[in-house]
Amino acid sequence: MATQPEVQAALSRRYDAGFVTDIETHSLPPGLDEDTIRALSALKEEPEWMTEWRLAAYRHWLTMKHPNWAHVKLGPIDFQAISYYSAPKNKPKSLDEVDPKLLETYDKLGVPLHERAKLAGVAVDAVFDSVSVANTAREQLAKVGVIFCSMSEAVREHGGLVRKYLGSVVPQGDNFFAALNSAVFSDGSFVFIPKGVRCPMELSTYFRINAGHTGQFERTLIIAEEDSVVSYLEGCTAPMRDDNQLHAAVVELVALERASIKYSTVQNWYPGDENGKGGIYNFVTKRGECRGDDSRITWTQVETGSAITWKYPSCVLRGDRSVGEFHSVALTHHYQQADTGTKMIHIGRDTKSKIVSKGISAGRSQNSYRGLVKVEKGAANARNHTRCDSILIGKQCGSHTFPYMEIKNPTAIVEHEATTSKISDDQMFYCRSRGISEEDAVSLIVDGFCKQVFRELPMEFAVEAKKLLEVSLEGAIG
Amino acid sequence: MTAALPFVQSMHAAALQRRLPGSGLAWLDAARTDALQAFADRGLPDQRNELWKYTSLRALAQRAFAANDAAAASRAGAAALLPVPARQGSRAVFVNGAFRADLSSLDALPEGVAVQSLAAALRDAPEPLRFLLDKRVDDDDDGFTLLNRALAADGLILKVAAGAEVGEPLHIVHVGLAAEAAAAFHLRSLVELGKGARLRIVEHHVGEPQTGHLTNIVRDIGVHANAHLDWTVVQQAGADATLLRRSKVRLHDDAALDLHALELGGKLVRHEIRAELAGARSRFNSRGAFVLHGRQHADMEVLVAHRGRDSFSNAVWRGVADNRARGVVHGRILVQPGADGADGSFYNKNLLLSPDAEIDTRPALEIYADEVKANHGATVGQLDEKVLFYLRSRGIPLETARRILVRAFCSVALDGMDPAPLREHCEALLAEQLPEVSA
Repeated sequence: MATQPEVQAALSRRYDAGFVTDIETHSLPPGLDEDTIRALSALKEEPEWMTEWRLAAYRHWLTMKHPNWAHVKLGPIDFQAISYYSAPKNKPKSLDEVDPKLLETYDKLGVPLHERAKLAGVAVDAVFDSVSVANTAREQLAKVGVIFCSMSEAVREHGGLVRKYLGSVVPQGDNFFAALNSAVFSDGSFVFIPKGVRCPMELSTYFRINAGHTGQFERTLIIAEEDSVVSYLEGCTAPMRDDNQLHAAVVELVALERASIKYSTVQNWYPGDENGKGGIYNFVTKRGECRGDDSRITWTQVETGSAITWKYPSCVLRGDRSVGEFHSVALTHHYQQADTGTKMIHIGRDTKSKIVSKGISAGRSQNSYRGLVKVEKGAANARNHTRCDSILIGKQCGSHTFPYMEIKNPTAIVEHEATTSKISDDQMFYCRSRGISEEDAVSLIVDGFCKQVFRELPMEFAVEAKKLLEVSLEGAIG
Repeated sequence: MTAALPFVQSMHAAALQRRLPGSGLAWLDAARTDALQAFADRGLPDQRNELWKYTSLRALAQRAFAANDAAAASRAGAAALLPVPARQGSRAVFVNGAFRADLSSLDALPEGVAVQSLAAALRDAPEPLRFLLDKRVDDDDDGFTLLNRALAADGLILKVAAGAEVGEPLHIVHVGLAAEAAAAFHLRSLVELGKGARLRIVEHHVGEPQTGHLTNIVRDIGVHANAHLDWTVVQQAGADATLLRRSKVRLHDDAALDLHALELGGKLVRHEIRAELAGARSRFNSRGAFVLHGRQHADMEVLVAHRGRDSFSNAVWRGVADNRARGVVHGRILVQPGADGADGSFYNKNLLLSPDAEIDTRPALEIYADEVKANHGATVGQLDEKVLFYLRSRGIPLETARRILVRAFCSVALDGMDPAPLREHCEALLAEQLPEVSA
């Protein structure tokens, strides 16, 4: 066992990405009403239909109640105290025009934005606060017809596509936070992969929350046409700040016939300090629809940040023989709370889904897996396998599993398994007897525990994720 | 709004009409009035209540029930319905919600075992039951526990003295007989095993097919240090019956409960078992199976809370749903802070035999301690084609092959059940139920 001071020292480690970039921002005053939405829409030079779409969502949101079913404790959120728009003042035309301070920020986070971007084969659509400030490798993508741009730009320049698909997977009134997002979404990414195209590079977005009191409401829409393939990476860090910040994103994926979308997330937002003060509220609606036959959607997530995480990346398996996968590692420490999982809705015939969830709780955190596997009447021969494992590190944390299985077709086979335990003494003893230090042993065991999920991550992310877990777990043994 | 529902109206009418045993006692009247008031506020549980998520009461809410069956004490026909194992040995028989001394046989019970009906206990000596009946309304109460508190007219008060060992099982039989109108029976029971006591209970539910009664049973089961309760439930309620049960079990240090449940009958059937493993090294084993056809609906809620150190729970449940039936299983293992060494598991497998049947299963783990082992598993599927093929290749007709497999699937629930005659009885019942299982 680690000695008490060691544990204390490690527990009180500071948030590595906790720095604030001092940049002038243009913001709307805090508050939310129809005028705010009109102002926001005007600022973003949006067409009339978009404004109306937002207003419809807002009106619906007004009729909804804040949900309280998740296994999390949180105080009331004052939606009037949030500023719904904040953007860097000067819109840069190219990389050279990008504020050097901003670039410095990305440097600290290790975003390969300069030449490195191309060398690394990564196109970065970096979201700094609410407006996309730079797109790289755009030409390369344009050559094969891939559209990868900010949502604002997509609304202006690809209105037809946006109008056709926006809200088709997550409707405006889907849930409380999705409705709020539909009303006030600031920006996000738009990806369109045309028929038969295999996207030549991994697409990546880094989100940062920077200005104080700014809720972030990203909206991401990815459309993969027939026979196309795309892999999308989303990574998040946020600077240290004491007020709770709300993040309510919506991600929609549409996969048409034989298309494949892989969506990977590493989420490392500010989790609050060791006393549970501050941190991001991360309430996200992510849903993908396998609309066409033989399509495939894979969600992979590594969640280590945020004071409260509340999200369920889901797959609606509408097309026959479509496949949905969900791979997740969720780590909570200190006073973090996570209620995360997935939904697999089998509608088409011969649909398959696979769920692998690994939860690690330490400190005084609460970590819940909540998942639904639903097999509708017509989903003949549907298959699902779910595996949820949790480990507990410490006496005061909690780990919970709430799976729901609703089966209406007799030819379906649905399996669920879950275990919860602490790191086994035998494993620890084995490592220690090989001369491995206590910390390294925990790290090794946790890495092994999560391997199944890490394998699903793209290379760059796998390295980052592994490091993230190591750092997050330092000294958490007790 | 809810006040307009026929069900709710009939319950309030029942409270006005009926003079319940023990009325006139100030504390009991107050508790009953409070409960009725709380029921008026809360109404029937709806599907927003997580524990009722998959059981809709919409149809039930449209039905009105009579306050009781006035002729329950003299109604004939129950003797013929008594299950074979209960005909010999000790038994307590309830017909349409009323205890029937004439059908019961309690003389052979050994010393240290006290059995009384709730109605009799309230008449003779109500004060010792105050802890059970004089309860405040709390968050855990749903519409049915409140109705039970307000309207319970009978039940079984069973106490086993410390050290007493009862070798032969005690049969508790609930018989439903057709009456002039469908009625609601609310039964409140208590089972208490003193230190080191041993007892076997076999609970039967039988009934005539068209009775339409609602039986609402709430019971507290206390198993004190080193005591052991063996509890078998054989549920063959009438095809039209609504049967709702909530059993609250508390296990003290080194106490053990073994539960076997076979749920075959009824139209809407539910059993909510809340087992609290309060004592160190307490153990709870449960095995159960339901086989449903027609439009039957069964909802098994097995909620286990580990509070004592090194407490152990193990559950194996099987479900079969055919035709338009719906089976619901919810197994929750909660490990409280400080319950180090807890070891809990819940396994549920289900067979879905028809395109119109549905199974909803929900195993949940809530863990607040780290020195624990907790696991669960659940599956929904159909019979293995390869095994069916194997049996058919040996000349066994398809129907028989299916029956063999379904029977084997369910028989896990009978593992460890004794004595042998009881087990044979259950196996025969299972076999009887299965021809109804179609292709």
